[in-house]
Amino acid sequence: MAQAAKPSPWMALTSAALTLPAFSASVPDQVEIGISTTAYRESDQNPQSVLVGSVQRYDININQFYLITPIGRDWGLALDLSHESMSGASPWGTVSVVGANTQLVMSGATIEEARNELSLGITRYFDTASLGFSVTRSEENDYNATAMAVNGEWDFNNRQSTLAAGLSYSTDSIEPSDALSFGRTLKQARRSASFSLAWTQVLNRASVLQSGFSVTQHNGYLSDPYKLRDIRPRQRLETAINFRYRRFMHRSDSSLHLDYRYYHDDFGIGSHTLRSAWYQNLTDQFQLIPSVRYYSQNQADFYVGGDDYGLPETVFQSSDYRLSGFGAVTFGLQGRFSQRDWSVSVNFERYLSAAGYGLNASRAEHPGLLRFSLLSFGFDVKL
Amino acid sequence: MSYLTNMTRLLLFIIMLLLFSCQTVQPWQRGLLARPEMQLEPDRLQAKLHSQVYFSNEASSGDSEVAGAGCGCN
Amino acid sequence: MGCPCELRLFAASATIAQHAAATCISEAARFEQKYSRYLDSSVTSAINRSAGVAATPIDPETSGLLQYAGVCYEQSQGLFDITSGVLRQVWNKDRQTLPRQAELEEITRLVGWDKIHLTDSEVFLPEPGMEIDFGGVVKEYAADAIAMRVKSLGISSALVSLGGDIVTFGAQRAGAAWPIGIVHPIQKESAIATIYLKDMALATSGGYERYFELQGKRYSHLINPHTGWPVDSLLSVSVSAQQAVVAGSISSIALLYDRQEAIDWLDNSGCSYFAIDQDLSCYGNLGG
Repeated sequence: MAQAAKPSPWMALTSAALTLPAFSASVPDQVEIGISTTAYRESDQNPQSVLVGSVQRYDININQFYLITPIGRDWGLALDLSHESMSGASPWGTVSVVGANTQLVMSGATIEEARNELSLGITRYFDTASLGFSVTRSEENDYNATAMAVNGEWDFNNRQSTLAAGLSYSTDSIEPSDALSFGRTLKQARRSASFSLAWTQVLNRASVLQSGFSVTQHNGYLSDPYKLRDIRPRQRLETAINFRYRRFMHRSDSSLHLDYRYYHDDFGIGSHTLRSAWYQNLTDQFQLIPSVRYYSQNQADFYVGGDDYGLPETVFQSSDYRLSGFGAVTFGLQGRFSQRDWSVSVNFERYLSAAGYGLNASRAEHPGLLRFSLLSFGFDVKL
Repeated sequence: MSYLTNMTRLLLFIIMLLLFSCQTVQPWQRGLLARPEMQLEPDRLQAKLHSQVYFSNEASSGDSEVAGAGCGCN
Repeated sequence: MGCPCELRLFAASATIAQHAAATCISEAARFEQKYSRYLDSSVTSAINRSAGVAATPIDPETSGLLQYAGVCYEQSQGLFDITSGVLRQVWNKDRQTLPRQAELEEITRLVGWDKIHLTDSEVFLPEPGMEIDFGGVVKEYAADAIAMRVKSLGISSALVSLGGDIVTFGAQRAGAAWPIGIVHPIQKESAIATIYLKDMALATSGGYERYFELQGKRYSHLINPHTGWPVDSLLSVSVSAQQAVVAGSISSIALLYDRQEAIDWLDNSGCSYFAIDQDLSCYGNLGG
């Protein structure tokens, strides 16, 4: 690889000096706290695509908090909290009209709903390794989930290589609201187990590559109880491989992030995700980060464009847009202002999906494909 | 299926290429890698948010890191 | 630390001030005990004694300083080399004659940062007789460490000076910056320039107090580790940066270059500086 142009002596020396104990702010010796608030707004449906129901999609406000603190010399604690409040409508099903495009049957706009999540993790740090255990609980009026995870990290090659492994297990239960009125299933459960492995390698002084894979098995009720006709298998095996590349560019004082993931499951869905972000330092304190994400998935084996009530209930079928073949592009721009101990950020993203963007799209575009905008404000501080 | 095998081969080739060009980085040369923007995940909350948003709206999951509980969103 | 030290601070009460002063003195003494090459019990002596024998385990502070010295070595194209102290055995004021090439070759065999084996937890000097000396980095680092300690005690404004390396934070009364005088090389009681510091550090390196005469010619105490010969250096260089250790490295490295190369290096360093050459000409863009 070609060597990048040299940084100024001041830059190189200051970079090195800041890792010395007297200056260290990034060593987990300090308490770190962060908060963020996000407005997520899905674009309204085109009225012509809606046969019945609301044209509005979801509006969600998300508030997040985290705290990381050392405990003694060898332990660390992490706490994550999240509160989401959502209102809006979603597709219940699709109707195929002969000689015309498929149309949506939408729910009526819902009352405010909320989801709360709490996650607690402790980690034991050793000389060149660490071992962590965490528990997460998510609750909303119709859905509860509890998850536990164990993860470990080992450093090799004078800390130039790191192997990380994780194991997690979760149990979820769903009790659809208004089940009796709408003839929905009353109470169902599902379980998931997941294993992941990742190798992080320092390539040279300015770049790093992480390669990883994960495998997850789900068992239980996997269908969407709010859809008019949605019958999915009772198990699902998912695998994913991913790469994350980070490279610092001296000449422009910026960093390039490149992430790729390939996903495949036994519903027949395969997907590619490619994300790139450019961290550009404008001054010592201000950073601008444009980003772009491309996503493409093909449809599930049992995906149908229009609900077919003639099919027996033993045949898997779903007209959920999330199981159709489509592509999506996200454009994002973030600004970050940093001081020694704290920083503030603003992030805007716009997501657009269409069958035509996908590499292997469904024959007919699902009318419920999503567009959304997202605006976040974040603040973090080291105490 | 052969599509997957070809993809895997290409990706393995790229990894090998990058790994073989690895240089030993002395401890005192690591300053750049410690910068916040050079971290695998510079923004913890953004990462969790994206994970949740995309899990709700697309069929894929699995980023080898964020292991939260599920939600009724999928 | 073998040089004049000074602490000035503004505190809410005399008790806090005294506590801060006591903390500074004990912290300075800690660095002295740990890194002085004149004390057998220091880490420096332990590492040097094991040269050619075995690796010495070191703590994060020591390995951090050695790693930092490695960056200085790179940034100076190998001129700043903490293994070059052994050259003192050849170039000192007790000599009567110039050294022969063979003598220099033998001593430069023991010099070379790139020969050292350094990891996060241990260091090994491969040749018996090799020595490392923390003097080039630890004095400035101590000034930074002491200033950070004073700050963490709740003091809002202070000046820490260790033998000419100065760290300031906060302001003097009425928001004014701390005025620092740079000693005139000849008229030692007066200042050749005054520089104003606010939340910055200033490090000064100078060869004019430490030179020796040999056969009628004046030689700097700074030796080029590549050639083994003394450098035709600037007389004095003062550099300002946010950390004294960074300012100190830049000024020390500047003195290892011959005069014009030194000015060019300082101009491209990314820092403000003030330099005086052997003819008492002044260069630089730093205040006063």
